[in-house]
Amino acid sequence: MTMRAITGPALFTLLVVGVFVGFGEVVTRISGESDRARRATAASGEVTPDAGEAIFFGRGKCGTCHSVSGRGSAVRGPDQGERGPLGVAIGKRAEARAQERARTTGRPFTATDYLVESLVEPGAYVVDGFKNEMPNPLRPPISLSPDDVRAVILYLQTLGGVADADAIRLPASALAVRSELKDTALLPGGDPGRGRKVFFDESGSAACGKCHRVKDAGGTVGPELTGIAGTRDMGFIVESILSPATVIASGYETVLVETRAGQIVTGIPRGEDPDHLVLVDAQGRPQRVRKADIKRRAPQTTSLMPENFRDILTVGEVADLLAYLATLK
Amino acid sequence: MDAPRGARRRPEALLLAAFAVLLAAPAVLAADGAPEYRRLFGGDARIAVWVAAQLHLMLGAFVLGVPIFGTILEIVGWRARDPRYDRLARELTGLLSTAFSATAALGALFVFVLIALYPRVVTFLAGVFHGTFVLYALLIIAETATLYLYAGLWDRWGGRWKVAHVALGVLLNVWGTLLMLIATAWTAYMMTPTGLDADRTRFIGTTWQAVANPLWIPLAIHRFVANVSFGGFVVGAYAAVRFLAADRDDDRAHYDWMGYVGNLTGVAGMILLPFAGYYLGREVYSASAVMGNNMMGGAFSWTFIIQAALIGMLFVGANYYLWLGMERIPGAERYRGAVKYLTMALVVAFAVWLTPRNIPLTGEEQQALGGQFHPVLKYFGLMPAKNAAVNLIILSTFLSLLLYRRANRGRPRPFALQGRGGNTLLLAVGVLLAALLAWYGGSVLTLDPRTLDLTEAHARYLLVPGLLLVADILVVALGLALVHLNRPTAAVAVTLGTTAVFSVLVLGVWGFVVMERANPLLRHVAVVQWLLVMVALVWSTTIDGVVYRGAGRLGTIRWGHIPRRAQYALILLCVSSVLLMGLMGYVRSGLREDWHVYSVLRDTSESAWTPTNALMARVVGVIVLVFLGIVAASFWLARLSAGGPRNGPPDPPALGAPRQSQGAPR
Repeated sequence: MTMRAITGPALFTLLVVGVFVGFGEVVTRISGESDRARRATAASGEVTPDAGEAIFFGRGKCGTCHSVSGRGSAVRGPDQGERGPLGVAIGKRAEARAQERARTTGRPFTATDYLVESLVEPGAYVVDGFKNEMPNPLRPPISLSPDDVRAVILYLQTLGGVADADAIRLPASALAVRSELKDTALLPGGDPGRGRKVFFDESGSAACGKCHRVKDAGGTVGPELTGIAGTRDMGFIVESILSPATVIASGYETVLVETRAGQIVTGIPRGEDPDHLVLVDAQGRPQRVRKADIKRRAPQTTSLMPENFRDILTVGEVADLLAYLATLK
Repeated sequence: MDAPRGARRRPEALLLAAFAVLLAAPAVLAADGAPEYRRLFGGDARIAVWVAAQLHLMLGAFVLGVPIFGTILEIVGWRARDPRYDRLARELTGLLSTAFSATAALGALFVFVLIALYPRVVTFLAGVFHGTFVLYALLIIAETATLYLYAGLWDRWGGRWKVAHVALGVLLNVWGTLLMLIATAWTAYMMTPTGLDADRTRFIGTTWQAVANPLWIPLAIHRFVANVSFGGFVVGAYAAVRFLAADRDDDRAHYDWMGYVGNLTGVAGMILLPFAGYYLGREVYSASAVMGNNMMGGAFSWTFIIQAALIGMLFVGANYYLWLGMERIPGAERYRGAVKYLTMALVVAFAVWLTPRNIPLTGEEQQALGGQFHPVLKYFGLMPAKNAAVNLIILSTFLSLLLYRRANRGRPRPFALQGRGGNTLLLAVGVLLAALLAWYGGSVLTLDPRTLDLTEAHARYLLVPGLLLVADILVVALGLALVHLNRPTAAVAVTLGTTAVFSVLVLGVWGFVVMERANPLLRHVAVVQWLLVMVALVWSTTIDGVVYRGAGRLGTIRWGHIPRRAQYALILLCVSSVLLMGLMGYVRSGLREDWHVYSVLRDTSESAWTPTNALMARVVGVIVLVFLGIVAASFWLARLSAGGPRNGPPDPPALGAPRQSQGAPR
């Protein structure tokens, strides 16, 4: 085979590859993707509508499914602009949705509550005509931080409404779904005074003082927390609040007792005599069970401490609580 | 085997080195304190791994695709008693020795680079897949040994032993397919990992759970079909270069015929690939909506515009080659008039396929346009339009093939003369297709939309596609009746025509309605479009195959009498195919975005961002040039080892009376 014979095919190959490379360059210019590397890390940690917009069309991938009126071409999810359902942008539309959600759930709902729910629990309400397929942006693969989510909500508020950062109350589950549960850097700064109130307020969501003692106040069902900040790091404490069964303090393991009469008693053993076993239940009440009546006694892997703090506490309350606990050295 | 001694030993040495690296890797990596990432002499680690992996993949595709192609050729030659196929199959097998060496060398390079630069990733994957590494190594040994037996026993196992030789070729492909399946499991696992704990941080499953991850089979099917197509196009380009360099008529005739066979194989695979691609894409979406949306509507939406351009080049190039090829076929002039309509259909379909939904516009541009979207063209950017366009392209290309196949044939024989065999075959295929249509039609018409978070009322949107499937049963029946009435060309015309109306026009438009009002049902509409086209392809091929059996010929095909530009069409097909493979490798890997193992092992390196299309095009461009250089060198070495340019593999001993009267080289 002569060199001349392969020159033509070789040059032709170079030409085709060259056209391909040129096409790639042109596409990058047209599509505006040339700043991908910068956008991959942009707006991290800022809680502003601008940062939210950048996340919406960038790392958050919201723009992959949602258009915002003239911006974007996605149709898989509702348009968040005025071309969307009800003919109003999401900042305004959220008010009508909130009323609907309040009627359905029987709980009070603000427009911002609706936006929060839409992001951290997307399957709770699905717009008619769309599929329940939106992922939780706090979970992998999107893995936004709570601050990123706040920024996106701020941006959505500005679409037909007014940005109100104080109204955004992310549930603590926004932290608990993240594998970086112990990463307290994800939490906003808290107030120890408010945290003390959350701790001891028996009518509040947490009411930690019903079971835990700090100095001379509080109950004795759970471990005493006086000096807790001196012996445990903050990551461990967050995990203990939001996922209490992960590590159960020694001496506080729960036991399940089944009597011959079929009665089930669950609690932490707090003493026994030759005839009786004493268990303290979740309300702090001692339960005496006759040893002769016990049919089965089984240690439990769950904690007596409620598992639902991630749902009933907000991120702000968790932050305040931590700020208070950090003072207990 | 005609390779020199040195060339024979090289693959084993390289393969053993690669196995050693592969098997030792987990132990080496288990050492504490290994960094997460390293740089390559200050260079970009990601690009180094990208280039090594993609080159290895391309060569892997070549050494897996060519044996499939070669074995099929050998079987065709054996059964048809046509020594040309056997010669071609042998010629291709001769290329594999060098290609195996290059594949093994690049495989070792890839493993070395990966271990050195991404130790944490390799540790994770080794922890999951270490069991398969040994099996992979054993399979490579089995494949290498079988290849040498296959090549070395070609002459000895001719004649009545041919069946044993063919069995060896099949065995070679079994090993190759198993190898591909294992490697695909690793790749697919990185996209859709399974067997993880609740926090998705630790692998707690079995190796089989990891292997049988959701994308394993869809990706394997796509790769298998693509490998066959890829092998066909590479062989076509090889034939083109040899044709251009040939100074003898019989050489030109041989390489013209080889190019034709390569193109035919490539096109056959290409017709199936969009369906395999759709299945893969659908499974990607099912496995992760985020990944699926990102693929078609996110960071990769523009990449798919480039992909559309490449596929456009492939289809237009393949059709152009077929049309040029008609010049050497007496009788083809009857069909040349159809070419302009086929061209128009292809151009329109590709214009639709290439149209993006929107592009970034300035305020002035938006004002001039009356908004972000063009009032008409915006519809062409949506999925229903793309689905319709793809189906039209496939139908047009199939029609080109059909006309090409008929070009040299006279009138079909009366159906009554085709005997019981033809009748039985036609009836069996017709019943099978009708049953398939009835089954899927039934499942579409009885689908409960509530399973897709829609209301019961949304079921009406599946009425049109369901009824079209039922109507297509009547089309199949009508085709059968027309064949019995000795109107087979009308039967094929009705089949293809109604399919174009049903799949492209009706469902193309209906897709927009469904997308607007019941989006989750759109995928079912797409599957109905695909099924209608597949049924039309199978039914038309069966009818044509039966009725043209024994039909008269309108003269001898003048192999070698084809314009030189047709050879450049073959080269274009090969280069486009390799570029497409590189581009799709970027998409598949890039879909994971900033995850090494999707949602499990995060990419925390400085390269945790998706490369732009410009960077992709530059890297893939370089990879393609290097790959084609390696393939060219393999061909050159194979020719050297065969003893020079004029001493190609000899024709095998005659297996009976050769049927060279119709298409023999002059």
